[in-house]
Amino acid sequence: MKRAGAREDAGLRTPWLALSGFLLPALVMYAAFTAYPVARTFWNAFHKVLPNGNETWVGFANLRAILNNDPTFWKAVGNTLAWALVSPVLEVSLGLLLALALYARIPFARFFRIAWFTPVLISYVVVGILWMWIYNYDWGVANELLRLVGLDAWTRPWLGNPATALPALIFVTTWMWTGFNMVVLLAALSSLPSEVLEAAELDNCGWGRKLWFVIVPLVRPTILNLIVLSFIGKMKIFDLVWITTHGGPLWSTETVSTYVYKRAFDWSTFDLGYPSAIAAIWFVFVLAGVLILTSLLRSRERLEF
Amino acid sequence: MAVVTLRNITKRYDGGAEAAVRDVSLDVGHGEFMVLLGPSGCGKSTALRMIAGLESISAGTLAIDGVRMNGVPAKDRDIAMVFQSYALYPHMNVRDNMAFGLRRRGLPRGEIDQAVSETAALLGLSPYLSRKPHALSGGQRQRVALGRAIVRKPKVFLFDEPLSNLDAALRVSMRAELIKLHQRLSATMIYVTHDQVEAMTMGTRICIMQAGGIVQTGAPLDIYRHPVNTFVAAFLGNPPMNLLPARLDRGQGSTLSVTMGDAQLALPPNLGNILLPHAGRDVIFGLRPEEICESSGAPPGAASLRTRVVAVEPLGAETLLVLAAAGCTSEIVARVSRDSMARAGETIDVHLNLAAMQLFDPQTTEVIPIQQEH
Amino acid sequence: MNVSAEALYVEPTLRSARRPLAGHIARSLLLILLAGYTAFSAGPFLWLASMSLRTTSEISANHYALPSILHWEKFPAAWFGSSYGTYFLNSLEVVVAAVIVLTLIGAMAAFAFARYRFRMNRVLYFVIFSTIIFPPQITIISLFQVLVDYGLFNSLVGLTLVYIAFQLPLTVYILESFFARVPQDLFDAARMDGYSDGAIFWRVMLPIGLPAIATTVILNFILLWNEFLYAVVLIADDAKRTLPLGIQKFMGDQLEDIGMISTGMMISVIPVVILYVFFSEKLIQGMTAGAVK
Repeated sequence: MKRAGAREDAGLRTPWLALSGFLLPALVMYAAFTAYPVARTFWNAFHKVLPNGNETWVGFANLRAILNNDPTFWKAVGNTLAWALVSPVLEVSLGLLLALALYARIPFARFFRIAWFTPVLISYVVVGILWMWIYNYDWGVANELLRLVGLDAWTRPWLGNPATALPALIFVTTWMWTGFNMVVLLAALSSLPSEVLEAAELDNCGWGRKLWFVIVPLVRPTILNLIVLSFIGKMKIFDLVWITTHGGPLWSTETVSTYVYKRAFDWSTFDLGYPSAIAAIWFVFVLAGVLILTSLLRSRERLEF
Repeated sequence: MAVVTLRNITKRYDGGAEAAVRDVSLDVGHGEFMVLLGPSGCGKSTALRMIAGLESISAGTLAIDGVRMNGVPAKDRDIAMVFQSYALYPHMNVRDNMAFGLRRRGLPRGEIDQAVSETAALLGLSPYLSRKPHALSGGQRQRVALGRAIVRKPKVFLFDEPLSNLDAALRVSMRAELIKLHQRLSATMIYVTHDQVEAMTMGTRICIMQAGGIVQTGAPLDIYRHPVNTFVAAFLGNPPMNLLPARLDRGQGSTLSVTMGDAQLALPPNLGNILLPHAGRDVIFGLRPEEICESSGAPPGAASLRTRVVAVEPLGAETLLVLAAAGCTSEIVARVSRDSMARAGETIDVHLNLAAMQLFDPQTTEVIPIQQEH
Repeated sequence: MNVSAEALYVEPTLRSARRPLAGHIARSLLLILLAGYTAFSAGPFLWLASMSLRTTSEISANHYALPSILHWEKFPAAWFGSSYGTYFLNSLEVVVAAVIVLTLIGAMAAFAFARYRFRMNRVLYFVIFSTIIFPPQITIISLFQVLVDYGLFNSLVGLTLVYIAFQLPLTVYILESFFARVPQDLFDAARMDGYSDGAIFWRVMLPIGLPAIATTVILNFILLWNEFLYAVVLIADDAKRTLPLGIQKFMGDQLEDIGMISTGMMISVIPVVILYVFFSEKLIQGMTAGAVK
């Protein structure tokens, strides 16, 4: 509907009444349950907020305390960042390999696709509990398999050992999301124009060269999307940690989200301002991370073409 | 009184440098089949949409049956439109598609059903009333779109390039059907197309548009024979009119000849007299391919031209010859008999029927009027 | 040069064609690897299904055996005895209500963004769309405060409202891109037939957009069914717990009762499985749509 130039074209002007009708409910929900809460969190960050509703202005005190005096915060940041940087690499590259395997027209491709997609649909709670059992020292699948092949020395309490807890959880999320990435990449590969691939075939490239120089560049946008999606997902992660290790042992799996929750609702600190400040800092962190990541990955694209 | 009247209609889009439609004035009479013809981007669809009420009018007046319609919403204008993509509701069957507009008006159910079945019978759609659009062929969908318009019994029918999405054979048969429909309903129709064959065969009048404005309006054969400038001359007719740079030169006495390249063609005396004032002038010489023939069978008044055959295109019913004349930069296309024996590379003489020539001014591209008894 | 007839029909020189055995071995190896990955991927879930039908004592004896007797009675026991029924119904209430409202207002907003031109169109769309990136921590604390202020804390209604806002961006994103692809002619024709904007939305856009809408419904259902963080923060009473919370609580209270925990988890997984079995294509397309470029 274009804007009318003449005043008299009442019937053809932008129908503001109808438009408001369509947009208002969504905008109201957004304003009330997203925009306002975000603003309020930032407000909280600059206050000490007590349970009885009292709010005292503290300026940047919370921020300073977090950045200077809070080793747990930094541990959580380290864990979360490690997760958010390692996972995309693992999940996307494995997903790509699997997608290529299916793309080479393996029989039962449809079955595999459906089977590998399933972990994504299961709630993190269920996934967490299942993997707690899998990692169980005495009878979990992980250790049983090791004992089966005679590697008894390698068995350990995977989730109980500070050194292995985080890697073990990263393994779990990789298990969950590789299938998803595989499905997406398969769709991307299938939508590639077959002429390009046939031309590469005619050029008599080896399999490896064809992969690296023809196929990967063509699905690059999708790969980038998946990396960013994975990054964002890991920066937010809460459910899995909460169910399995609760941030332990010894803060080896503490993430920013579990730390915020604990400070706000678990520990008797009675101050919502401090965790709000952490959330605010993290919010900026995530946005910056996404921007940096996308510009970093995008710019390389321009350089090569 | 004309059914549809446009006076100085102009359309300007926000932020648009040029007006999409500039100062268009047109009258469409009752029962006329008016074709808006032009290349893409000329503004014909925009003009149609303004008549329909789908676009607002920036300046000028639109009237239907004498009533001003500028701000009136589309549904109140008593017009129906057939879209290029048919715009059938994919989730409704044929019957519902046709009845959709009528139901809105609150007509009794019985009337609606009757109107729908009558129209369906008229268009041969009766066996398909329960089918959904995806189960119909292109031609059938086109007819449903037509039926949807007909069933509303509007004052004016608007068509926005309805045949463009059909394959060639279907287009030919649908053209004939539309002509029959027009006669049967005695309806007023405004039809937008870029296809000059459709315009020539279907229109009672053609309105040629270019760059947002009207170039020429008139009956098809009138425009064909008397184009007002080189654009119109080249647009109508396939293959298009040959347009060659030339010069009018004075011969001995009052004879005039046309110099094209190295050739000088003497004009017949009656033409020579009329054009004498233009002696020495540079012109664009226009002649339609069908007015050029091989040496045998040349009509009186024909001038002879020596040419080299560049290519031969046998079409079956006739043959096209692409010719090069010495000194002429452009090639000449001639429409000759199907029995032609010409071969590429040969040199042949062709005769040009100068009685049918058109002359245009090279600067303004407008026609230089020649009064002739034809 | 003489070329024999047979030489005219030369097979394409693929490596695997020249050495067929190597090709076969490679393919078989690949298949084995893929089968292995499938076991890895789907294995835990199948193990869960098996455990849900065995008693805890049976499981303790041998963790990985298949059920010798199918203990179907565990399901009603979990439902009634261990409150899983309550949790299930709470989840159902919240998620169904949220999905219905969410789909409606999301479709309306998507329709406005996709088919109308107005100055704030792209700005507002971007604002809503960008919230997909937001980490939930930025809102959980203040949402807690907001719900408490309005007496909606610890209520299913409050949780439902939060869920609606939570999934709105994704819904609008998916529907907007679909709605935008419908040709303008259809709407022009409806307008000429005399239909108002609202009528066009209801009678033209929704029926045509049904495939995309179905996809978002299924997607939202699964995502909200599994949602944990907001539920944990905003629900306190046991009677109002949603299924993920219920499982967590049970796990905390009865850590050793693996059998019952499994059955409970199975109850939560079954609706998702049913949706997946019937709608796997739609689901996969819907969830991956945004990521493919």
